[in-house]
Amino acid sequence: MTSTALPDDRIDRQANPQKGTTLARREAWAGYLFATPALLGLLAFTALPIIASLVLIFLHYDLLTPPKWAGVENVTRLTTDSRMFKIYWNSLRLTVGATLLNNVLGLLLAVGLNRAMPWGLRYLLRTSIFFPVMTTTASLAVVWRFLLTQDRGVVNFLIGQIGLDPVPWLSSSAWALFSAMIYDVWKACGYLMVIYLAGLQGIPAVYYEAARIDGAGFWQQFRNVTLPLISPTAFFAIVISLIGAFQIFDNVYVLTEGGPGDASRVIAMYIYEKAFRGFEMGYASAVSFTLFVILITLTLLQFLGARRWVHYE
Amino acid sequence: MATTTGPAAEPVTIRRTYRKSVWLRLGEALLWLLLIGIAIIEIAPISWMFSTSLRDPKNSFDLPPDFWPTALHWQNYLAVINSPDIEFMLFFWNSLKIALIVTAAQLLTCSMAGYAFGRLRFFGRDILFGLFLASLMVPATVTLIPSFIIIRSLDLMNTHWALILPSVTSAFGVFLLRQHFKSLPEELLDAAKIDGAGYFRTYWQILLPLTGPALSALGIFTFLASWNNFVGPLLFLRDWDKFTFPIAIATIRGYMGSGNQSEVLAGIMISIFPLLVFFLLAQRWIVQGAAITGLKG
Repeated sequence: MTSTALPDDRIDRQANPQKGTTLARREAWAGYLFATPALLGLLAFTALPIIASLVLIFLHYDLLTPPKWAGVENVTRLTTDSRMFKIYWNSLRLTVGATLLNNVLGLLLAVGLNRAMPWGLRYLLRTSIFFPVMTTTASLAVVWRFLLTQDRGVVNFLIGQIGLDPVPWLSSSAWALFSAMIYDVWKACGYLMVIYLAGLQGIPAVYYEAARIDGAGFWQQFRNVTLPLISPTAFFAIVISLIGAFQIFDNVYVLTEGGPGDASRVIAMYIYEKAFRGFEMGYASAVSFTLFVILITLTLLQFLGARRWVHYE
Repeated sequence: MATTTGPAAEPVTIRRTYRKSVWLRLGEALLWLLLIGIAIIEIAPISWMFSTSLRDPKNSFDLPPDFWPTALHWQNYLAVINSPDIEFMLFFWNSLKIALIVTAAQLLTCSMAGYAFGRLRFFGRDILFGLFLASLMVPATVTLIPSFIIIRSLDLMNTHWALILPSVTSAFGVFLLRQHFKSLPEELLDAAKIDGAGYFRTYWQILLPLTGPALSALGIFTFLASWNNFVGPLLFLRDWDKFTFPIAIATIRGYMGSGNQSEVLAGIMISIFPLLVFFLLAQRWIVQGAAITGLKG
């Protein structure tokens, strides 16, 4: 009998369903215990805040005096807040521009980097392009503020060398939002490159071989093999870049401080200012709730639209 | 490749149809130009920052700019470190302390919960895990205001706990590690059970060592996110001696940005230097991790 090699209680447990139940109970206890720390964190700093923000929408609360019931005042105020609409328009332009540029550049850079080249060159290119992703957004925005200064700034000096007039990057309402977008693309396109690179490396080489045998050139391979097979990666990349870009805060807060006027103010900054400069916690919660609804709707729309263009193998 | 399998005539046709056209060469040249051009644009601000941080403060705004150090005025670094008004190295210590605690806490709580959700059966497991997944959809901007009120009512304003407590766990980390625990073979757990290993031993000595790549990816990006966190310190910290690097640098710029570009840049260099070293050492894991997890710093 080989089964005698098992310890006695194991055999007991297999034979006796009663002991099996204690085992199941012990497993359940272990499950709750292991999940508890994370669950507490989730409850205290995600679930509770969400419920609290839903309640706050119906309150007037300035942190100093006790909260007062506001009914739907905060919600109706949203519909007449023309400043908020203007700021949402800024956020939308920044989001669309940054998402588009980041993803197109990220994909092109990944296609470029994915081809045969000496190991050292690949390392150098990847390091240079990815490193800004690791740096602190707020601190590097300070660097870009110096670079983009109108009078003695480096960027205006360089474009002056090729004969262009200095551009008021941060001080003109026509350029400020654009500058924030440039900064975001500088900071984030390396990250998208890495995501697309992983996607490209997941495409089996046989597809390219088959396409080549059928006589497909570089462009046709890109159009008919790379694009369809990279589409799940692109979908993921676009969803997360949209959600990220809509919540840009550090970038604009340091680079342009939202100015001039409201020209580059974005919605996360507006929420911050309403809550922590104006101390209108209730109204700020109402605005942040609109952002939540917009992000959820955008994500759902993308999941619905994905059926048209995302191909899974 | 086709030479070994296909008929003898095939390789010839392939070569002919795949001959590089003018357009293809042009496209390839453009791709190279883009790659090298972008790499230069990405690195230029950083090398400018380094070069300018080494200029004599008197000439810090002089043009043309340097992208390679022309002066070696290391005194700027000493001036920042020994600055009489602010203890710069204290920011380093604060940033490091908070990032290390947050990273350790997240690795522990997320892997524990990942084990529970991925490997143990208990009543309500799927609903609880569903809660974690749902919370991934909630943008941080939305929980900002209530989190502030909670921290304030816990009397944790202007303490480092205000930055640590909200980050002791992350729904994303739980999700990532649960997927990894789930993908490990069942035989491993059976073997552990037969050898009489309890739940804690199975988790700590058998499963955890096998989730290395996922743990290191989560660890790296948690550390980065904490090191680079700006909104948290902006909301919760008031005193200089509590500040972390990002908030300290944004504040210093207001103080002396107009007068002394070199010293501000030297301060920023000090704050990103640990990241640079870390990146050069662990680049492979960082880049892989970014791709696996879809997280960034």
